[in-house]
Amino acid sequence: MKLLLVEDNERVSQFVLKGLAEAGHTADHADNGRDGLFLAASEPYDVIVMDRMLPGGIDGLGIIAALRKAGKQTPILILSALTDVDERIRGLKSGGDDYLTKPFAFGELLARVDALTRRSQGSTGITTLEVGDLRIDLLSRRATRAARTITLQPREFKLLEYLMRHADQVVTRTMLLENVWDYHFDPQTNVVDVHVSKLRQKIDTASERPLLRTVRNAGYMLTAQE
Amino acid sequence: MRSSAYTLAAGYIALAIVALVLFAAPLWYAWQVTINDNRAEVLQQDSARLSAVFERSGVAAMGDFIRERVGLQIPEERILLLADPQLKPLAGNLPAWPADIPAASGTYTIKTNLNGKAAELVLVRTDLPGGYSLLVGRDVSRFQPLAHRFWYGLAVAVGVLSLAGVFGAILIRRAILSRIQTIRQTALAIVQGDLSRRLPAHRGGDELDTLSGTINRMLEQIEQLFRGVRNVSDSIAHDLRTPLAELRSRLEELSLTRPGPERTFEEIDAAVADVDHVMRIFNALLRLAEMDTGLRRSGFVETDVSTTLAEAVEFYLPAAELKEVRLVYRDHGALCIAGDPLLLAQAVGNLIDNALKYAGEQGTVIVESERAADGSALLSVSDSGPGIPDAEKPRAAERFYRGEASRVSPGVGLGLSLVQAVAKLHGGQLELLDNRPGLRAQMRIPALAVAATTPGVSSEAPARVAAAAML
Repeated sequence: MKLLLVEDNERVSQFVLKGLAEAGHTADHADNGRDGLFLAASEPYDVIVMDRMLPGGIDGLGIIAALRKAGKQTPILILSALTDVDERIRGLKSGGDDYLTKPFAFGELLARVDALTRRSQGSTGITTLEVGDLRIDLLSRRATRAARTITLQPREFKLLEYLMRHADQVVTRTMLLENVWDYHFDPQTNVVDVHVSKLRQKIDTASERPLLRTVRNAGYMLTAQE
Repeated sequence: MRSSAYTLAAGYIALAIVALVLFAAPLWYAWQVTINDNRAEVLQQDSARLSAVFERSGVAAMGDFIRERVGLQIPEERILLLADPQLKPLAGNLPAWPADIPAASGTYTIKTNLNGKAAELVLVRTDLPGGYSLLVGRDVSRFQPLAHRFWYGLAVAVGVLSLAGVFGAILIRRAILSRIQTIRQTALAIVQGDLSRRLPAHRGGDELDTLSGTINRMLEQIEQLFRGVRNVSDSIAHDLRTPLAELRSRLEELSLTRPGPERTFEEIDAAVADVDHVMRIFNALLRLAEMDTGLRRSGFVETDVSTTLAEAVEFYLPAAELKEVRLVYRDHGALCIAGDPLLLAQAVGNLIDNALKYAGEQGTVIVESERAADGSALLSVSDSGPGIPDAEKPRAAERFYRGEASRVSPGVGLGLSLVQAVAKLHGGQLELLDNRPGLRAQMRIPALAVAATTPGVSSEAPARVAAAAML
């Protein structure tokens, strides 16, 4: 996967580029707005990671607006030191696809970048999702594993749907909070873990091969792979 | 020194004088034209009558007639003079034919000396048959004082007006200057850092008071923003120092002792956790400060708090089950307020989180939203835990305050202060009550007016409906 990082802080850039390389991605880097806009407009990238405040005459939101105006639909993850909910909304309104506040854990960044590529591959028109022998029907809201029917509360179904849409990817607790509960704040407890473990009890019974895994220091992953 | 009061007064004085002149000019015109014309007409009629007497009766009879008229009338009321062709007076009350009367018939005004007094005469000269001449006239000098009085009166009026204008301007200027001086002094004190000062403003006062009131509201806002910033810097100074010091000593110790890789990585993980903790405090403080400024109100929308509470309860339910605490949401129907749903969710989440911590095993936490007797919305979370001693209650919502009982449980000590800040932002307050046993924490927030909650029940008593539902 090919990424573009537009970030002026050298330390943060090194940290992110190294992490992305370790995860098997190739990434270009621009340390100012002008170069960032040039690269983003001329090269085909899978995801762009964009800092909001940049030197070089044009800031992150300006670049995003310019790209969207030019018809470029590359998914963009905005990095920002501004935590305000309103700032987040502004960032997403300008055409960004996700918003991550600095400082961040690298696992969080990687998980969101992966989620963005998956989203860009498109999932419209799909009515069933499958991971191994786990299967959900989005129309009838039914979940089954092999021949067993799983009874789920509406919110549990939403949680499972999100995990299945991002199968084989790490999904962080914050991503779950934002996408399943629409809570854009830190509840300062491990409630998300409790929800996930409850869901796990329902989909992974003792005799079955576990699908829902905990990824240390990052989050969760639903996968049928060994 | 230029002053708007002076300019204004000068303008008004000029305007008043123009108005006076506009009033006096027609009067003067009426005086001059109408009265004088009228007078000339009367004299001409008189003259015509006398001419008729002359034509009928001749010179001698005319002379007798004039002498008789002069004898009868008030002296100087009417001037009559009959003269022969050489202009020698024959009869009348003028001693001699006035020198400056032109030779032809007509109406003339001359200045002359009459019985030793200066006089102004209006005379009508009529040429009679046989070369005789007749003068009929009137001494108008007795009207002179009236004209003088008119002009004098006008001058006095202009004078009084100007004086009043100037004095008025000085007084108004002084009054305005003294008030502006007060405003200036207050502003200077504020510039020097005393943000608590306010401009004197009287309720329902004049324009200056209205302006002062507006400026005061602006100062209120500035002070609040300023206080928010100062609170954050105070809190950072006091409360981020401790975890940062811990982090620093952990890293320094690591650098000094250089333990094996296993232990080094453990320490690094611990250090990252420390940083995350600092960040959490930092974000919580920023959020509190943001709310202190009240700027978040711009994003308020109509929010049904019963939905917000139900979702929060649903979110915490598995955690409660894990702790074997009964978490119950009591539904009393929709209840709308103007607010920020995300902040309300976070605040209620904090209360539920707290309640779950203190309810104890087999305990009960009840979450409900109801309309209070005063019409405001009550969002309450009640637990069956040990509660907060009355002595600790006032301090419980202070920043970083952690009750004696909570020393062992995790948290940054900002939970209740965030709830209080959210309640305040929504124009309400956080109330900590005794649940006998346990704590009942409730946010009292002004609600939006709503129609009858239940069909068939009078909308006048929604509070009573809510109360009944509660029972």
